[in-house]
Amino acid sequence: MTAAGPPTPPPAAHHEALSAAGPGEILLDVEDVCLRLGDNQILEKVSFQVKDRVRPGQVTGQVVGLLGPSGVGKTRLIRLIAGLDRPDSGSITGIHKQPLQAGTVGVVFQDYPLMRHQTVLGNMIVAGLASGLPRADAAAKARALLDRFGLGDRLGFYPAQLSGGQRQRVAIAQQMMRQKQLLLMDEPFSGLDPVTLAEVTKLLVEVANMDELNTVVVVTHDVRSALVVSDTVFMLGRNRGPDDKAVTGACIQHCYDLVVEGLAWRPGIEGEPRFREVEHEVRDRFRVL
Amino acid sequence: MTTPAAKILPPPPEAAPAPCPAEPGRLARIFLPNRAVDRPTMLALVALWALGAFVVWLASPWETLPRPGEVWTAFGALWWKGGMGPELFTTLKLITHALVLTIAISMALSYLTVIAFFRPLVAAISKLRFLGLTGLVFPLTLLTGGGYALKVVLLTFGMTTFFVTAMAQVVMEIPREQFDYLRVLGASEVRILWEVVVRGTIDKAFDITRQNLAMGWAMITMVEGISRAEGGIGAMILNQNKHFHLAEVYAILFAILGFGLLLDYLMGLFVRLVCPYVAFERVAR
Repeated sequence: MTAAGPPTPPPAAHHEALSAAGPGEILLDVEDVCLRLGDNQILEKVSFQVKDRVRPGQVTGQVVGLLGPSGVGKTRLIRLIAGLDRPDSGSITGIHKQPLQAGTVGVVFQDYPLMRHQTVLGNMIVAGLASGLPRADAAAKARALLDRFGLGDRLGFYPAQLSGGQRQRVAIAQQMMRQKQLLLMDEPFSGLDPVTLAEVTKLLVEVANMDELNTVVVVTHDVRSALVVSDTVFMLGRNRGPDDKAVTGACIQHCYDLVVEGLAWRPGIEGEPRFREVEHEVRDRFRVL
Repeated sequence: MTTPAAKILPPPPEAAPAPCPAEPGRLARIFLPNRAVDRPTMLALVALWALGAFVVWLASPWETLPRPGEVWTAFGALWWKGGMGPELFTTLKLITHALVLTIAISMALSYLTVIAFFRPLVAAISKLRFLGLTGLVFPLTLLTGGGYALKVVLLTFGMTTFFVTAMAQVVMEIPREQFDYLRVLGASEVRILWEVVVRGTIDKAFDITRQNLAMGWAMITMVEGISRAEGGIGAMILNQNKHFHLAEVYAILFAILGFGLLLDYLMGLFVRLVCPYVAFERVAR
Protein backbone atom coordinates (compact mmCIF):
# COMPACT_ATOMS: atom_id res chain seq x y z
CA MET A 1 0.00 0.00 0.00
CA THR A 2 2.86 2.37 0.37
CA ALA A 3 4.85 3.53 -2.54
CA ALA A 4 7.85 3.41 -0.25
CA GLY A 5 10.38 0.71 0.15
CA PRO A 6 11.28 -0.84 3.51
CA PRO A 7 10.70 1.34 6.57
CA THR A 8 14.22 2.63 6.80
CA PRO A 9 15.93 2.14 3.47
CA PRO A 10 19.35 3.66 2.93
CA PRO A 11 18.82 7.27 1.88
CA ALA A 12 20.55 6.90 -1.46
CA ALA A 13 17.99 4.36 -2.59
CA HIS A 14 15.04 6.65 -2.01
CA HIS A 15 14.77 8.66 -5.13
CA GLU A 16 13.09 6.23 -7.46
CA ALA A 17 11.24 4.36 -4.76
CA LEU A 18 9.53 7.40 -3.31
CA SER A 19 8.16 8.98 -6.45
CA ALA A 20 4.45 9.62 -6.26
CA ALA A 21 2.92 7.42 -8.92
CA GLY A 22 1.25 9.29 -11.73
CA PRO A 23 1.15 9.46 -15.43
CA GLY A 24 1.85 13.16 -15.75
CA GLU A 25 4.95 15.22 -15.86
CA ILE A 26 7.12 15.99 -12.88
CA LEU A 27 5.95 19.15 -11.10
CA LEU A 28 8.42 19.13 -8.23
CA ASP A 29 11.64 17.18 -8.07
CA VAL A 30 13.65 17.22 -4.85
CA GLU A 31 16.80 15.23 -5.41
CA ASP A 32 19.38 14.24 -2.80
CA VAL A 33 19.05 17.48 -0.88
CA CYS A 34 21.41 17.88 2.06
CA LEU A 35 21.57 20.71 4.56
CA ARG A 36 23.92 21.15 7.46
CA LEU A 37 23.73 23.90 10.09
CA GLY A 38 26.87 24.09 12.21
CA ASP A 39 27.50 20.61 13.57
CA ASN A 40 23.97 19.42 12.87
CA GLN A 41 23.10 17.51 9.76
CA ILE A 42 19.50 18.68 9.30
CA LEU A 43 18.58 17.09 5.98
CA GLU A 44 20.37 14.18 4.38
CA LYS A 45 19.66 13.14 0.82
CA VAL A 46 16.01 14.14 0.87
CA SER A 47 14.47 12.97 -2.39
CA PHE A 48 10.92 12.92 -3.64
CA GLN A 49 8.93 13.82 -6.71
CA VAL A 50 5.46 15.18 -7.27
CA LYS A 51 3.89 14.31 -10.61
CA ASP A 52 0.82 15.65 -12.30
CA ARG A 53 -2.12 13.38 -11.60
CA VAL A 54 -4.54 13.36 -14.47
CA ARG A 55 -8.24 12.64 -14.17
CA PRO A 56 -9.94 12.77 -17.57
CA GLY A 57 -12.57 15.47 -17.71
CA GLN A 58 -11.55 17.05 -14.43
CA VAL A 59 -9.03 19.65 -13.39
CA THR A 60 -7.05 17.95 -10.66
CA GLY A 61 -4.26 19.66 -8.84
CA GLN A 62 -2.04 17.86 -6.40
CA VAL A 63 -2.13 18.06 -2.62
CA VAL A 64 0.95 16.58 -1.06
CA GLY A 65 1.35 16.06 2.66
CA LEU A 66 4.80 16.28 4.17
CA LEU A 67 4.57 14.73 7.61
CA GLY A 68 7.22 14.81 10.25
CA PRO A 69 7.68 15.39 13.96
CA SER A 70 8.53 18.82 15.34
CA GLY A 71 12.13 19.82 14.86
CA VAL A 72 12.86 17.28 12.13
CA GLY A 73 13.61 19.92 9.51
CA LYS A 74 10.27 20.41 7.74
CA THR A 75 10.43 24.18 7.81
CA ARG A 76 14.05 24.08 6.63
CA LEU A 77 12.95 21.95 3.71
CA ILE A 78 10.17 24.44 2.92
CA ARG A 79 12.69 27.27 2.87
CA LEU A 80 14.87 25.32 0.45
CA ILE A 81 11.96 24.51 -1.88
CA ALA A 82 10.82 28.14 -1.72
CA GLY A 83 14.25 29.29 -2.85
CA LEU A 84 14.86 31.25 0.35
CA ASP A 85 17.90 29.15 1.26
CA ARG A 86 20.25 26.99 -0.76
CA PRO A 87 20.97 23.36 0.01
CA ASP A 88 24.54 22.26 0.62
CA SER A 89 24.08 19.70 -2.12
CA GLY A 90 21.33 18.26 -4.23
CA SER A 91 18.82 19.99 -6.46
CA ILE A 92 15.24 21.21 -6.33
CA THR A 93 13.45 21.86 -9.60
CA GLY A 94 9.92 22.56 -10.73
CA ILE A 95 8.07 22.02 -13.97
CA HIS A 96 10.37 21.38 -16.96
CA LYS A 97 13.29 21.05 -14.55
CA GLN A 98 13.28 24.80 -13.90
CA PRO A 99 15.18 25.75 -10.72
CA LEU A 100 12.88 27.27 -8.10
CA GLN A 101 13.60 30.82 -6.97
CA ALA A 102 12.13 33.00 -4.23
CA GLY A 103 9.06 34.72 -5.60
CA THR A 104 8.12 31.91 -7.98
CA VAL A 105 6.90 29.58 -5.24
CA GLY A 106 4.03 30.50 -2.96
CA VAL A 107 4.61 30.04 0.74
CA VAL A 108 2.10 30.47 3.52
CA PHE A 109 4.20 30.59 6.65
CA GLN A 110 3.10 29.38 10.03
CA ASP A 111 1.19 32.12 11.91
CA TYR A 112 0.39 33.77 8.57
CA PRO A 113 2.53 36.92 8.67
CA LEU A 114 0.85 39.91 7.08
CA MET A 115 1.86 43.55 6.90
CA ARG A 116 0.38 44.92 10.10
CA HIS A 117 0.34 48.49 8.82
CA GLN A 118 -1.70 47.63 5.74
CA THR A 119 -5.39 46.83 5.52
CA VAL A 120 -6.48 43.53 4.02
CA LEU A 121 -6.87 45.22 0.64
CA GLY A 122 -3.54 47.00 1.11
CA ASN A 123 -1.81 43.70 1.85
CA MET A 124 -3.25 42.24 -1.32
CA ILE A 125 -2.28 45.27 -3.42
CA VAL A 126 1.31 45.14 -2.15
CA ALA A 127 1.40 41.46 -3.15
CA GLY A 128 0.13 42.46 -6.59
CA LEU A 129 2.65 45.28 -6.97
CA ALA A 130 5.42 42.94 -5.84
CA SER A 131 4.49 40.56 -8.59
CA GLY A 132 4.65 43.32 -11.19
CA LEU A 133 0.97 44.23 -11.62
CA PRO A 134 0.01 47.88 -12.11
CA ARG A 135 -1.79 49.28 -9.05
CA ALA A 136 -5.25 49.40 -10.66
CA ASP A 137 -4.99 45.82 -11.89
CA ALA A 138 -3.66 44.70 -8.51
CA ALA A 139 -6.60 46.35 -6.73
CA ALA A 140 -9.15 44.77 -9.09
CA LYS A 141 -7.60 41.33 -8.78
CA ALA A 142 -7.32 41.71 -5.00
CA ARG A 143 -11.03 42.54 -4.68
CA ALA A 144 -11.99 39.59 -6.86
CA LEU A 145 -9.81 37.17 -4.89
CA LEU A 146 -11.00 38.45 -1.52
CA ASP A 147 -14.61 38.02 -2.65
CA ARG A 148 -13.81 34.48 -3.71
CA PHE A 149 -12.24 33.76 -0.34
CA GLY A 150 -15.20 35.17 1.55
CA LEU A 151 -13.36 38.26 2.71
CA GLY A 152 -15.13 40.84 0.59
CA ASP A 153 -16.47 42.56 3.70
CA ARG A 154 -13.05 42.77 5.34
CA LEU A 155 -11.22 44.95 2.82
CA GLY A 156 -10.63 47.83 5.22
CA PHE A 157 -9.73 45.70 8.21
CA TYR A 158 -6.22 45.55 9.62
CA PRO A 159 -4.61 42.14 10.36
CA ALA A 160 -5.06 42.70 14.11
CA GLN A 161 -8.82 42.80 13.51
CA LEU A 162 -8.94 39.39 11.81
CA SER A 163 -9.35 35.92 13.27
CA GLY A 164 -6.65 33.29 12.70
CA GLY A 165 -8.71 31.63 9.96
CA GLN A 166 -9.26 34.95 8.19
CA ARG A 167 -5.56 35.79 8.37
CA GLN A 168 -4.78 32.43 6.83
CA ARG A 169 -7.21 33.05 3.97
CA VAL A 170 -5.68 36.46 3.30
CA ALA A 171 -2.21 34.88 3.32
CA ILE A 172 -3.33 32.26 0.79
CA ALA A 173 -5.11 34.85 -1.35
CA GLN A 174 -1.95 36.98 -1.36
CA GLN A 175 -0.01 34.10 -2.86
CA MET A 176 -2.57 33.89 -5.64
CA MET A 177 -2.03 37.47 -6.77
CA ARG A 178 0.70 35.99 -8.92
CA GLN A 179 0.29 32.83 -10.96
CA LYS A 180 2.20 30.25 -8.92
CA GLN A 181 1.77 26.57 -9.43
CA LEU A 182 3.52 25.47 -6.30
CA LEU A 183 2.14 26.56 -2.94
CA LEU A 184 3.88 25.49 0.28
CA MET A 185 1.94 25.69 3.52
CA ASP A 186 3.73 25.43 6.84
CA GLU A 187 1.53 23.89 9.55
CA PRO A 188 -1.77 25.16 8.15
CA PHE A 189 -3.83 23.12 10.62
CA SER A 190 -2.18 24.12 13.86
CA GLY A 191 -4.45 25.70 16.42
CA LEU A 192 -7.60 25.52 14.30
CA ASP A 193 -10.99 24.56 15.71
CA PRO A 194 -12.82 21.69 13.95
CA VAL A 195 -15.06 23.98 11.89
CA THR A 196 -12.16 26.12 10.67
CA LEU A 197 -10.12 22.99 10.05
CA ALA A 198 -12.82 21.66 7.72
CA GLU A 199 -12.96 25.03 5.94
CA VAL A 200 -9.19 25.12 5.50
CA THR A 201 -9.14 21.57 4.17
CA LYS A 202 -11.80 22.48 1.62
CA LEU A 203 -9.96 25.65 0.69
CA LEU A 204 -6.68 23.80 0.09
CA VAL A 205 -8.38 21.37 -2.28
CA GLU A 206 -10.06 24.26 -4.09
CA VAL A 207 -6.76 26.08 -4.46
CA ALA A 208 -5.07 22.95 -5.77
CA ASN A 209 -7.86 22.28 -8.25
CA MET A 210 -7.76 25.74 -9.78
CA ASP A 211 -5.23 24.46 -12.29
CA GLU A 212 -4.18 21.02 -13.46
CA LEU A 213 -0.53 21.76 -12.71
CA ASN A 214 -1.12 23.28 -9.28
CA THR A 215 0.55 21.59 -6.35
CA VAL A 216 -0.11 22.39 -2.72
CA VAL A 217 2.47 20.98 -0.32
CA VAL A 218 1.12 20.84 3.21
CA VAL A 219 3.84 20.54 5.81
CA THR A 220 2.43 19.35 9.10
CA HIS A 221 2.62 16.99 12.03
CA ASP A 222 -1.16 16.54 12.04
CA VAL A 223 -1.48 12.99 10.70
CA ARG A 224 -5.25 12.87 10.26
CA SER A 225 -5.58 16.24 8.52
CA ALA A 226 -2.69 15.41 6.21
CA LEU A 227 -4.32 12.13 5.21
CA VAL A 228 -7.72 13.75 4.70
CA VAL A 229 -6.50 16.49 2.42
CA SER A 230 -3.63 14.87 0.52
CA ASP A 231 -3.37 12.56 -2.43
CA THR A 232 0.23 11.70 -1.53
CA VAL A 233 1.90 11.75 1.87
CA PHE A 234 5.64 11.75 2.44
CA MET A 235 7.04 11.10 5.89
CA LEU A 236 10.18 12.94 6.85
CA GLY A 237 12.27 11.50 9.66
CA ARG A 238 15.73 10.51 10.82
CA ASN A 239 17.28 7.09 10.65
CA ARG A 240 17.84 5.75 14.13
CA GLY A 241 20.46 3.49 15.59
CA PRO A 242 19.89 0.53 17.93
CA ASP A 243 19.76 2.83 20.95
CA ASP A 244 16.95 4.81 19.25
CA LYS A 245 19.17 7.83 18.79
CA ALA A 246 19.04 9.67 15.47
CA VAL A 247 22.11 8.74 13.49
CA THR A 248 21.52 10.81 10.36
CA GLY A 249 19.83 13.96 9.18
CA ALA A 250 16.22 13.70 8.09
CA CYS A 251 15.20 12.05 4.84
CA ILE A 252 11.97 10.73 3.36
CA GLN A 253 11.21 7.53 5.22
CA HIS A 254 7.87 6.52 3.71
CA CYS A 255 5.48 7.52 0.98
CA TYR A 256 1.75 6.81 0.93
CA ASP A 257 -0.01 7.05 -2.41
CA LEU A 258 -3.57 7.67 -1.27
CA VAL A 259 -4.91 7.64 -4.85
CA VAL A 260 -3.75 4.07 -5.29
CA GLU A 261 -5.26 3.32 -1.89
CA GLY A 262 -8.57 4.77 -3.03
CA LEU A 263 -8.39 7.31 -0.21
CA ALA A 264 -8.15 10.52 -2.16
CA TRP A 265 -10.50 12.91 -3.92
CA ARG A 266 -13.58 11.81 -2.00
CA PRO A 267 -15.37 13.68 0.77
CA GLY A 268 -16.01 11.94 4.08
CA ILE A 269 -13.09 9.60 3.51
CA GLU A 270 -12.10 9.65 7.15
CA GLY A 271 -15.13 7.55 8.05
CA GLU A 272 -13.98 4.56 5.99
CA PRO A 273 -12.36 1.55 7.68
CA ARG A 274 -9.44 1.57 5.24
CA PHE A 275 -8.70 5.18 6.09
CA ARG A 276 -8.54 4.31 9.77
CA GLU A 277 -6.17 1.44 9.05
CA VAL A 278 -3.85 3.70 7.09
CA GLU A 279 -4.10 6.39 9.72
CA HIS A 280 -3.20 3.86 12.39
CA GLU A 281 -0.21 2.67 10.37
CA VAL A 282 1.00 6.20 9.72
CA ARG A 283 0.72 7.06 13.40
CA ASP A 284 2.74 3.97 14.31
CA ARG A 285 5.46 4.98 11.89
CA PHE A 286 5.29 8.58 12.99
CA ARG A 287 6.21 7.58 16.54
CA VAL A 288 9.59 6.29 15.48
CA LEU A 289 10.47 9.01 13.00
CA MET B 1 -16.97 -20.63 52.10
CA THR B 2 -18.15 -17.25 51.20
CA THR B 3 -16.24 -14.17 51.90
CA PRO B 4 -18.04 -11.65 53.97
CA ALA B 5 -19.66 -9.11 51.83
CA ALA B 6 -17.79 -5.93 51.81
CA LYS B 7 -19.57 -3.19 53.51
CA ILE B 8 -21.19 -1.29 50.75
CA LEU B 9 -21.02 2.34 51.42
CA PRO B 10 -23.50 4.64 49.82
CA PRO B 11 -21.92 6.68 47.08
CA PRO B 12 -20.71 10.01 48.31
CA PRO B 13 -23.08 12.82 47.45
CA GLU B 14 -22.02 14.47 44.25
CA ALA B 15 -20.09 17.54 45.00
CA ALA B 16 -22.00 20.57 43.92
CA PRO B 17 -20.18 22.46 41.20
CA ALA B 18 -18.10 25.22 42.65
CA PRO B 19 -19.89 28.49 42.14
CA CYS B 20 -18.16 30.95 39.90
CA PRO B 21 -16.29 33.43 42.04
CA ALA B 22 -18.21 36.65 42.24
CA GLU B 23 -16.77 39.42 40.12
CA PRO B 24 -15.17 41.96 42.47
CA GLY B 25 -16.84 45.32 42.62
CA ARG B 26 -15.48 48.51 41.12
CA LEU B 27 -13.90 49.62 44.38
CA ALA B 28 -12.27 46.22 44.98
CA ARG B 29 -10.90 46.09 41.43
CA ILE B 30 -8.75 49.17 41.90
CA PHE B 31 -6.84 47.44 44.69
CA LEU B 32 -6.56 43.95 43.15
CA PRO B 33 -3.57 43.03 40.99
CA ASN B 34 -3.91 42.43 37.22
CA ARG B 35 -7.34 44.03 36.89
CA ALA B 36 -8.44 46.41 34.20
CA VAL B 37 -10.54 49.39 35.18
CA ASP B 38 -12.82 51.43 32.97
CA ARG B 39 -12.00 54.94 31.81
CA PRO B 40 -14.23 56.85 34.26
CA THR B 41 -12.68 54.91 37.16
CA MET B 42 -9.19 55.71 35.93
CA LEU B 43 -10.07 59.40 35.55
CA ALA B 44 -11.47 59.37 39.08
CA LEU B 45 -8.20 57.81 40.30
CA VAL B 46 -6.16 60.49 38.54
CA ALA B 47 -8.33 63.20 40.07
CA LEU B 48 -7.96 61.60 43.49
CA TRP B 49 -4.16 61.50 43.27
CA ALA B 50 -4.03 65.09 41.98
CA LEU B 51 -6.22 66.20 44.86
CA GLY B 52 -3.97 64.31 47.28
CA ALA B 53 -0.88 66.01 45.89
CA PHE B 54 -2.59 69.39 46.19
CA VAL B 55 -3.52 68.72 49.81
CA VAL B 56 0.06 67.66 50.59
CA TRP B 57 1.26 70.87 48.96
CA LEU B 58 -1.17 72.97 51.02
CA ALA B 59 -0.17 71.21 54.22
CA SER B 60 3.54 71.28 53.46
CA PRO B 61 5.66 72.65 56.31
CA TRP B 62 8.53 73.72 53.99
CA GLU B 63 9.04 77.44 54.04
CA THR B 64 10.79 77.36 50.68
CA LEU B 65 7.76 75.91 48.95
CA PRO B 66 5.52 78.76 47.87
CA ARG B 67 1.76 78.47 48.38
CA PRO B 68 -0.41 77.53 45.39
CA GLY B 69 -1.92 81.03 45.33
CA GLU B 70 1.55 82.61 45.13
CA VAL B 71 2.51 80.36 42.24
CA TRP B 72 -0.74 81.09 40.43
CA THR B 73 -0.23 84.85 40.87
CA ALA B 74 3.36 84.55 39.67
CA PHE B 75 2.23 82.56 36.65
CA GLY B 76 -0.29 85.25 35.72
CA ALA B 77 2.31 87.97 36.10
CA LEU B 78 4.87 86.10 34.02
CA TRP B 79 2.34 85.24 31.32
CA TRP B 80 0.78 88.69 30.93
CA LYS B 81 3.71 90.97 31.81
CA GLY B 82 6.85 88.83 31.96
CA GLY B 83 6.81 87.62 28.34
CA MET B 84 6.39 83.94 29.13
CA GLY B 85 4.40 83.36 25.93
CA PRO B 86 7.13 84.63 23.56
CA GLU B 87 9.78 82.78 25.62
CA LEU B 88 7.84 79.54 25.27
CA PHE B 89 7.56 80.15 21.54
CA THR B 90 11.35 80.63 21.37
CA THR B 91 11.85 77.34 23.19
CA LEU B 92 9.32 75.52 21.02
CA LYS B 93 11.09 76.82 17.90
CA LEU B 94 14.43 75.59 19.22
CA ILE B 95 13.20 72.15 20.19
CA THR B 96 11.26 71.72 16.94
CA HIS B 97 14.38 72.60 14.95
CA ALA B 98 16.47 70.12 16.94
CA LEU B 99 13.79 67.43 16.79
CA VAL B 100 13.44 67.66 13.01
CA LEU B 101 17.20 67.32 12.63
CA THR B 102 17.25 64.43 15.13
CA ILE B 103 14.50 62.56 13.30
CA ALA B 104 16.13 63.05 9.90
CA ILE B 105 19.60 61.94 11.06
CA SER B 106 18.43 59.13 13.32
CA MET B 107 15.94 57.57 10.92
CA ALA B 108 18.47 57.63 8.09
CA LEU B 109 21.12 56.03 10.29
CA SER B 110 18.72 53.44 11.71
CA TYR B 111 17.46 52.36 8.30
CA LEU B 112 21.06 52.12 7.13
CA THR B 113 21.60 49.32 9.65
CA VAL B 114 20.05 46.96 7.11
CA ILE B 115 23.30 47.42 5.16
CA ALA B 116 26.17 45.70 6.95
CA PHE B 117 28.67 48.36 5.84
CA PHE B 118 27.00 51.04 7.99
CA ARG B 119 26.41 48.99 11.13
CA PRO B 120 29.72 49.90 12.85
CA LEU B 121 29.06 53.60 12.21
CA VAL B 122 25.57 53.41 13.69
CA ALA B 123 26.84 51.40 16.66
CA ALA B 124 29.54 54.01 17.28
CA ILE B 125 27.04 56.88 17.20
CA SER B 126 24.82 54.96 19.58
CA LYS B 127 27.72 54.58 22.03
CA LEU B 128 28.24 58.36 22.09
CA ARG B 129 25.24 58.59 24.40
CA PHE B 130 27.67 57.93 27.24
CA LEU B 131 29.35 61.29 26.56
CA GLY B 132 28.00 63.98 28.85
CA LEU B 133 26.70 67.14 27.19
CA THR B 134 28.50 69.39 29.67
CA GLY B 135 31.90 68.29 28.49
CA LEU B 136 30.90 68.84 24.89
CA VAL B 137 29.86 72.45 25.32
CA PHE B 138 33.34 73.87 24.92
CA PRO B 139 34.42 72.00 21.75
CA LEU B 140 30.98 72.49 20.20
CA THR B 141 31.07 76.21 21.00
CA LEU B 142 34.33 76.43 19.09
CA LEU B 143 32.82 74.49 16.20
CA THR B 144 29.50 76.33 16.00
CA GLY B 145 30.38 79.76 17.23
CA GLY B 146 27.88 79.47 20.09
CA GLY B 147 24.39 80.96 20.35
CA TYR B 148 21.39 79.39 18.67
CA ALA B 149 23.48 77.03 16.52
CA LEU B 150 25.20 75.63 19.60
CA LYS B 151 21.90 74.99 21.34
CA VAL B 152 20.47 73.21 18.29
CA VAL B 153 23.61 71.08 17.97
CA LEU B 154 23.64 70.17 21.66
CA LEU B 155 19.97 69.18 21.69
CA THR B 156 20.29 67.30 18.41
CA PHE B 157 23.36 65.44 19.65
CA GLY B 158 21.71 64.56 22.95
CA MET B 159 18.55 63.27 21.34
CA THR B 160 20.16 61.60 18.30
CA THR B 161 22.39 59.25 20.28
CA PHE B 162 19.39 57.89 22.19
CA PHE B 163 17.06 57.92 19.18
CA VAL B 164 19.56 55.96 17.08
CA THR B 165 20.03 53.42 19.87
CA ALA B 166 16.32 52.78 20.22
CA MET B 167 15.46 52.89 16.52
CA ALA B 168 18.37 50.71 15.40
CA GLN B 169 17.22 48.15 17.95
CA VAL B 170 13.71 48.24 16.50
CA VAL B 171 15.07 47.64 13.01
CA MET B 172 17.38 44.85 14.15
CA GLU B 173 14.50 43.11 15.91
CA ILE B 174 12.30 42.84 12.82
CA PRO B 175 11.71 39.09 12.48
CA ARG B 176 13.37 37.43 9.51
CA GLU B 177 9.96 36.00 8.58
CA GLN B 178 8.79 39.48 7.60
CA PHE B 179 11.56 39.79 5.03
CA ASP B 180 11.03 36.23 3.76
CA TYR B 181 7.30 36.74 3.56
CA LEU B 182 7.74 39.62 1.13
CA ARG B 183 10.48 37.79 -0.76
CA VAL B 184 8.16 34.90 -1.51
CA LEU B 185 5.62 37.41 -2.77
CA GLY B 186 8.27 38.43 -5.30
CA ALA B 187 8.99 41.86 -3.82
CA SER B 188 12.23 43.62 -4.69
CA GLU B 189 14.66 44.40 -1.89
CA VAL B 190 13.78 48.11 -2.20
CA ARG B 191 10.09 47.35 -1.75
CA ILE B 192 10.94 45.09 1.20
CA LEU B 193 12.94 47.94 2.74
CA TRP B 194 10.01 50.32 2.26
CA GLU B 195 7.25 48.03 3.52
CA VAL B 196 9.03 46.11 6.26
CA VAL B 197 11.71 48.46 7.56
CA VAL B 198 10.25 51.92 6.94
CA ARG B 199 6.46 51.58 6.97
CA GLY B 200 6.45 48.52 9.20
CA THR B 201 8.25 50.34 12.01
CA ILE B 202 6.84 53.84 11.57
CA ASP B 203 4.61 53.61 14.64
CA LYS B 204 7.61 52.65 16.75
CA ALA B 205 9.60 55.51 15.23
CA PHE B 206 6.85 57.90 16.33
CA ASP B 207 6.88 56.41 19.81
CA ILE B 208 10.63 56.90 20.03
CA THR B 209 10.21 60.45 18.74
CA ARG B 210 7.72 61.01 21.53
CA GLN B 211 10.19 59.77 24.13
CA ASN B 212 12.97 61.89 22.65
CA LEU B 213 10.77 64.94 22.60
CA ALA B 214 10.28 64.44 26.34
CA MET B 215 14.05 64.02 26.75
CA GLY B 216 14.79 67.15 24.71
CA TRP B 217 12.20 69.09 26.65
CA ALA B 218 13.83 67.98 29.90
CA MET B 219 17.26 69.12 28.62
CA ILE B 220 15.97 72.51 27.52
CA THR B 221 16.74 74.37 30.76
CA MET B 222 20.35 73.29 30.72
CA VAL B 223 20.84 73.99 27.02
CA GLU B 224 19.13 77.39 27.04
CA GLY B 225 21.15 78.34 30.07
CA ILE B 226 24.37 78.08 28.05
CA SER B 227 23.51 81.12 26.00
CA ARG B 228 20.75 83.23 27.48
CA ALA B 229 20.86 86.01 24.94
CA GLU B 230 18.28 84.32 22.68
CA GLY B 231 15.91 83.87 25.61
CA GLY B 232 13.61 80.89 25.96
CA ILE B 233 11.87 79.33 28.92
CA GLY B 234 15.14 77.78 30.14
CA ALA B 235 16.86 81.17 30.23
CA MET B 236 13.80 82.60 31.95
CA ILE B 237 13.87 80.07 34.79
CA LEU B 238 17.61 80.55 35.30
CA ASN B 239 17.08 84.32 35.58
CA GLN B 240 14.37 83.77 38.19
CA ASN B 241 16.64 81.33 40.04
CA LYS B 242 19.34 83.96 40.21
CA HIS B 243 16.99 86.39 41.94
CA PHE B 244 15.55 83.71 44.20
CA HIS B 245 11.99 84.35 42.95
CA LEU B 246 10.66 81.03 44.16
CA ALA B 247 7.03 81.49 43.17
CA GLU B 248 8.12 82.46 39.65
CA VAL B 249 10.46 79.46 39.45
CA TYR B 250 7.65 77.10 40.37
CA ALA B 251 5.29 78.84 37.95
CA ILE B 252 7.80 78.32 35.14
CA LEU B 253 8.34 74.70 36.20
CA PHE B 254 4.59 74.12 35.98
CA ALA B 255 4.56 75.78 32.58
CA ILE B 256 7.40 73.51 31.38
CA LEU B 257 5.59 70.45 32.72
CA GLY B 258 2.22 71.52 31.29
CA PHE B 259 3.58 72.27 27.82
CA GLY B 260 5.60 69.06 27.86
CA LEU B 261 2.46 67.07 28.62
CA LEU B 262 0.55 68.97 25.94
CA LEU B 263 3.23 68.20 23.34
CA ASP B 264 3.21 64.54 24.40
CA TYR B 265 -0.58 64.39 24.12
CA LEU B 266 -0.55 66.00 20.67
CA MET B 267 2.15 63.59 19.56
CA GLY B 268 0.02 60.67 20.80
CA LEU B 269 -2.98 61.98 18.85
CA PHE B 270 -0.84 62.25 15.74
CA VAL B 271 0.39 58.64 16.11
CA ARG B 272 -3.18 57.40 16.53
CA LEU B 273 -4.21 59.31 13.42
CA VAL B 274 -1.32 58.12 11.23
CA CYS B 275 -1.10 54.55 12.59
CA PRO B 276 -4.67 53.48 13.45
CA TYR B 277 -3.68 49.79 13.46
CA VAL B 278 -1.75 50.26 16.71
CA ALA B 279 -5.02 50.75 18.62
CA PHE B 280 -6.37 47.47 17.22
CA GLU B 281 -3.20 45.63 18.18
CA ARG B 282 -3.53 46.87 21.75
CA VAL B 283 -7.12 45.65 21.84
CA ALA B 284 -6.05 42.35 20.24
CA ARG B 285 -3.52 41.79 22.99
